[in-house]
Amino acid sequence: MSEEFERRIAAALHAPVGVDHRAKRMVMEQVRRAAAQGHPRRRPDVWTRVTRHSIVGLAFAAGVGGISTLSAILPPAQRTDSRGVSSVVLGDTVVGALHDTLRLVRLMFDAPSAQRVAVTGDFNPAGAGTTPLARDADGRRWSVTLALRDGEHRYAFVVDETRWVPDPRADRITRGADGRLYSLLNVARAAN
Amino acid sequence: MSDRAIIQQVLSGDVEAFSRLVDRHYERCARIAVRILGNREDAEEAIQDAFLRAFKALGDYEEREQFSAWLTRILVNQCRTVMARSRRRDAIFPDLDPLAMDFAVDANTADGTWPELERALAQLPVEQREAIVLKFADDLTYEEMSRITGAGESALKMRVQRAFARLRAILQEVPSV
Repeated sequence: MSEEFERRIAAALHAPVGVDHRAKRMVMEQVRRAAAQGHPRRRPDVWTRVTRHSIVGLAFAAGVGGISTLSAILPPAQRTDSRGVSSVVLGDTVVGALHDTLRLVRLMFDAPSAQRVAVTGDFNPAGAGTTPLARDADGRRWSVTLALRDGEHRYAFVVDETRWVPDPRADRITRGADGRLYSLLNVARAAN
Repeated sequence: MSDRAIIQQVLSGDVEAFSRLVDRHYERCARIAVRILGNREDAEEAIQDAFLRAFKALGDYEEREQFSAWLTRILVNQCRTVMARSRRRDAIFPDLDPLAMDFAVDANTADGTWPELERALAQLPVEQREAIVLKFADDLTYEEMSRITGAGESALKMRVQRAFARLRAILQEVPSV
């Protein structure tokens, strides 16, 4: 009886409601007006900044204390910046927690207008959701330092919980089983 | 042609290509919005706003989730906005009962409608109504619903269960059920 009731409710909710074609036409009229005003607008400034600054500042082997930048994927002009960031971020507590097989990788993302930025990747345990980035003091840059094992990792940024942004600075981009695009980062290769 | 391919066309400057997305998703949006909002006039307002917002933000969409899920999230937000506006209107005109009025537009009435259910849905708390409509009007999984509404999956399951219980209690009072 109960299942029958629920089936009936479900069927009724799924039944078509009919479409008013006049209302549908109005959608396109509004769209054309918006197009005349320049919509949809892309955000090339954001993408340019992402390209310039996004990926990875540093990695180092724990216990040694030496820092090696991910020079393989950073153009020379950014190495100074990356080293500058590293000296601020890496504290003794972080270093002490690492194992020999882990490297610290700093992800950066410039999005001054964002309210929240997070990174999701195969380094997040299943069901653990995303790892939030923290806004730097300049208010423009978001960053997070991750301890990653050597090997290839897939990841993407999530801005304001709605925008999915693969990192265009990464070596390669791949499409996941969920249909989304992920950046690929080879930590071992980048650190050597 | 996939939604993604159409979006690329629109972003390349073919604005009219957006009408294919409207054709493809309008009925599904109507099913959701009419049942969340309880009347077609408010639903059409929410749907139009949702499509317009989606069009304007299409440059941000690009490589994200499926377009249908993204559009549904925008639509649900617009439904919430319209609902808040309607509450203000109802506070000004307390005697108006939109559910007691015929739809203002000339649309087809589908077979199998269940007027008592429409009224019963209107008596549910908003979050329960939203949950049960997304679950069954759009055949979404709880994971998809969670991404759209921002609520946890277990909370959504609870809302659907409570919605069923409440509907059962309400509809048992109606002789035709």
